[in-house]
Amino acid sequence: MLALKNVSAGYGGADVIKNITVDINKNENLLIIGPNGCGKTTLLKTVAKLLAFSGEIEINGKDIRKMKQKEIARKVAMLSQTAGIYFTYSVYDTVMMGRYPHISESLLKLPSDRDKEFVLRCLEAVDLINEKDKEITKLSGGQLQRVFLARTLAQDPEIILLDEPTNHLDLKYQFELVEYLKKWSMQENRAVVGVLHDLNLAMRLSDNIMILKDGGIQACGRTSDVLTAGLLEDVYEMDVARYMADSLKIWEGLRK
Amino acid sequence: MRIKITVAVCAAFIAIVLGIAIGSVYIPPTDVLRILAHNIFGAELPERVAPAHTAIVWSSRLPRVLLAFCAGAALSVSGAVMQSVLRNPLASSYTLGVSSGASLGASFVIFLGFSLPLIPMMTLPILGFTFGLGTILLVMGISSRLDTRMENHTIILTGMVFSLFINAITTLMFTFFREGTQRMILWQMGSFNARGWTPVTILAPAAVIGVLIISRFKWELDVMTFGEEQAHTAGVKIKSVKLMLLISAAALTGSTIAFVGVVGFVDLFAPHIVRKLFGAAHRYVIPMSAVIGGTFMVAADLAARTVTAPVDLPVGAVTAIIGAPFFAYIYFGGRKKSAGA
Repeated sequence: MLALKNVSAGYGGADVIKNITVDINKNENLLIIGPNGCGKTTLLKTVAKLLAFSGEIEINGKDIRKMKQKEIARKVAMLSQTAGIYFTYSVYDTVMMGRYPHISESLLKLPSDRDKEFVLRCLEAVDLINEKDKEITKLSGGQLQRVFLARTLAQDPEIILLDEPTNHLDLKYQFELVEYLKKWSMQENRAVVGVLHDLNLAMRLSDNIMILKDGGIQACGRTSDVLTAGLLEDVYEMDVARYMADSLKIWEGLRK
Repeated sequence: MRIKITVAVCAAFIAIVLGIAIGSVYIPPTDVLRILAHNIFGAELPERVAPAHTAIVWSSRLPRVLLAFCAGAALSVSGAVMQSVLRNPLASSYTLGVSSGASLGASFVIFLGFSLPLIPMMTLPILGFTFGLGTILLVMGISSRLDTRMENHTIILTGMVFSLFINAITTLMFTFFREGTQRMILWQMGSFNARGWTPVTILAPAAVIGVLIISRFKWELDVMTFGEEQAHTAGVKIKSVKLMLLISAAALTGSTIAFVGVVGFVDLFAPHIVRKLFGAAHRYVIPMSAVIGGTFMVAADLAARTVTAPVDLPVGAVTAIIGAPFFAYIYFGGRKKSAGA
């Protein structure tokens, strides 16, 4: 459903990602990992058409260069780290913003009954229906990220791009968010492409992995086929598998 | 919400009626309403209402009060847009150089005696508007050259650089052309004095059109307050929407200060008060900024012409004197309360 062919993109004329070719199928969870500066976020931004690129990107066989911004937004949504909040909106109003690409271009641009119903369903999905009239500035970090997840869902996309959305969240909310997205991606015509710094969390979400290094694909495929201790050591320049195993011993050694 | 909106609209109506009633000659509010009903709907006027009062209401106070209301409404809506689009609670058209540009335009008229052929009376407003809007177009053009994505910090910094540069030219003109200094200072402080119907018949439709155009972008304004990348992935065409909104907001400010001079502060604080009272959703922020800003400006003008009567105070000074403590009370008072909770 999402296909990239020889895609290169970057900032100020310098390519950060180079010749990326990958197909993402429905119900796929593709996780992008790699060290800082390898181009993970750049790749997501390119798919969201936030950056100019060379090569081809197609969504369901359609070139995104020929798609309008709203049309892309109906297919692809992005969930990022909690954004800075400058003004006070209610939870409901914030989630309703996700309906923007679906709102009719009538004179008053009012949300339809379907839009309203959809927003309520998204609030139910993230268990915030009872908080819908609360101001978002009065929510905890975990609740706020759930509001943003509901807004992403309200966009009713087929593909969700995750740009480290679990940063600043405590462990429980990180786990809940990942579990929810995993379930969401199993629905018809859905896929998740994500960047998560926490490798443990990443492994819980994803069956497929893309490893980036210096803007190019180092390896891509089913996690069990692709991932080796040697590859991780090469990419992160440290013995990741050993580090994880040592950490596990510490956790297992904790008293019950 | 409906109650709050009704109260705000009623307060605006009361402020307008009191603004017409109170002055060097007091005209009872009931007579004001009768005179308005008579002149607008042809209703019968009681004989006890003096013809002089009818003339004062219709020819002097009503246009002045309506001009003040339109100016307050236009400036406040403009401020609300600037704050939301630039994601900066202190942003305004003034930050982007509109008032500096308009002041430079005014200084050409006041210091150099420049006058347009055929319409000499309209020289000051036309040059003020053109220079004000011209400045922001220049700021946007240069920002777009410097940064193809037109990030907010680029726009704000370019605006500030232009403001300082243009202010310096105006200051130099103050130094070289002493004659007209007082008129220029008074213009820069703003006034609604002795303007007649002409300014309001131009400004009112301009303000209505500007506010309606901006209201069409209520969704985009909401989405953009969460950041441009977020708005882009939600489907907003950032660059064109931003250009349209900033230019519309600057045109509202430019057309206002072209007629009444530079009146500050209302564009900063009215949108903040509105967000406190009605929330941040722009379907409320835009129309209610117009109502609250207009009401406040009518009240400020009333104070400006009555407190030291018969001398008119500059309304720009009054908006800051009344507005600053009121704003501090509303804005920081709430913050203190929530910090203590």
